[in-house]
Amino acid sequence: MKFQIPIGPQHPALKEPISLRMTVEGEVIRDADIRLGYNHRGLEKLAEQKTWIQNIYLTERICGICSHSHTTCYVQGVEKLMELEPPKRGLYIRTLVAELERIHSHLLWLGVAGHEAGFDSFFMYTWRDREIVMDILEIITGNRVHYGINTIGGVRRDLDEQQVKRILDSLDILRQRSEYYKHLGTNEPSFVARLAGVGYLSREDAIALCAVGPTLRASGVAMDVRKDDPYAVYDEVPFEVCTADTCDVLGRTVVRIKELFQCYNIIEFLLKNLPAGPVAVRAPRRAKPNEVVSRYEAPRGENIHYIKSNGTDKPERLKVRAPTLGNYAATIQMLKNGFIADVPLIFAAIDPCICCAERAVSLVDARTGQEKIISLNSLKSLSLKLSAGNKRKREAEWPL
Amino acid sequence: MKLGAFIPELLRHLFKKPATVDYPFQKLEVPKDFRGSPYLRPELCIVCRACERDCPAEAIEITAVNEAEKRFRMVIHNDRCIHCAQCVDSCPTEAMLMDTRFEISDYDRHNLKMEWEYVRAVVKPRSEAKTS
Repeated sequence: MKFQIPIGPQHPALKEPISLRMTVEGEVIRDADIRLGYNHRGLEKLAEQKTWIQNIYLTERICGICSHSHTTCYVQGVEKLMELEPPKRGLYIRTLVAELERIHSHLLWLGVAGHEAGFDSFFMYTWRDREIVMDILEIITGNRVHYGINTIGGVRRDLDEQQVKRILDSLDILRQRSEYYKHLGTNEPSFVARLAGVGYLSREDAIALCAVGPTLRASGVAMDVRKDDPYAVYDEVPFEVCTADTCDVLGRTVVRIKELFQCYNIIEFLLKNLPAGPVAVRAPRRAKPNEVVSRYEAPRGENIHYIKSNGTDKPERLKVRAPTLGNYAATIQMLKNGFIADVPLIFAAIDPCICCAERAVSLVDARTGQEKIISLNSLKSLSLKLSAGNKRKREAEWPL
Repeated sequence: MKLGAFIPELLRHLFKKPATVDYPFQKLEVPKDFRGSPYLRPELCIVCRACERDCPAEAIEITAVNEAEKRFRMVIHNDRCIHCAQCVDSCPTEAMLMDTRFEISDYDRHNLKMEWEYVRAVVKPRSEAKTS
């Protein structure tokens, strides 16, 4: 006998609002349906009303964890539109911050994986070590989360000798700690038993469903935008694309830990080969009418921005495809034939960022299930009609 | 693989100091380039409005008090400010600067407003407005 159960949008296991409708047979999930739109912020429309410079800070706020990935993706596109060539040193610093961000994102994810697997001390220790990276980012950019280091035509802040030394010193501690986590992640029997075999995604499915990032690489496909379509200075930096072939959550953990070591190597290379010179070039205020697609390998996978300009100082269209959106189709495949108890773990394994992926809402009639498209004005009048007679917030009475 | 691979690490941490600080009584120092709140040095402001134009949060407001006397008023709405320091980057005379305060929360958003009334300065810009 089949049942349909809803999980979310408010659910203690999933930290962000997303709704999963699951068809279950006993404990086994037979089918899943992901419903989005609880966190829609109308960001793309807002971007059309702001100038190129203002939009850097807007795109930064798409995501709190991979904020640099969205600005870099946007700024790269705008630089292509304006035909700017950022100086080498600027690109090196941009890449450095990108890799630091990857470390902090992966350490954060490791903690979350530990937490979802019921290994909370692992979560505490990884997050403590993540503070080292956060401190470095605060020192070089001036803030812990929204770095604001990118500007059109380069970066805004330069590195000095002291900061370089500080980063190199911290790398030693991080390497040592990651070595320990690698040992732990593959040797602690209860942890391994919880992750192995959960959320299976075969190589063929991963390719067919267009999975991205560590989810794809854990299914044995060596695909990485940094290698396939190098941006910034990745064509000069030696690094390997990390893969695993277990196709499960354990594989995704291993890929992320391996990537941490690659990040340390990349950062060391960047700091040792940091060229001298300016960090930014002057940018014009307007861009010629054109369109561009920019790709970036965020910690979660491939991030795509499409930008269209019309000759003014504002973009005509900005479209964001966040990596999480690319992974949803694969997640459904992973959930199928799994257990209900594995849902948080499988879902956490794609490192979801719900608000990154919310780009549209659809209006569905709750009774008939019909979808419809209406104009903004009729949406406004509809909401006014529905809320007519409601007391204003400040006059509302406490119901109990 | 052996059971309890984590136990030695846990035991070691029993004798270590906590990784956190006792916050309200003991404060961490912020780095010198920390982006706190923006403030104005009115003696350097030439009212070019570059900061007002580039502010992504529209938190800066410059209005003329008396056009003939060249008196202007600048209001920084810190409740809207996103602390990106773009105003500092845009300013051609270095009249805008960031402080390093981080405990700026308040019960009333109107208390966060900062206001300056000043006569327009006659300073030669060191550079052209960087993004013009």
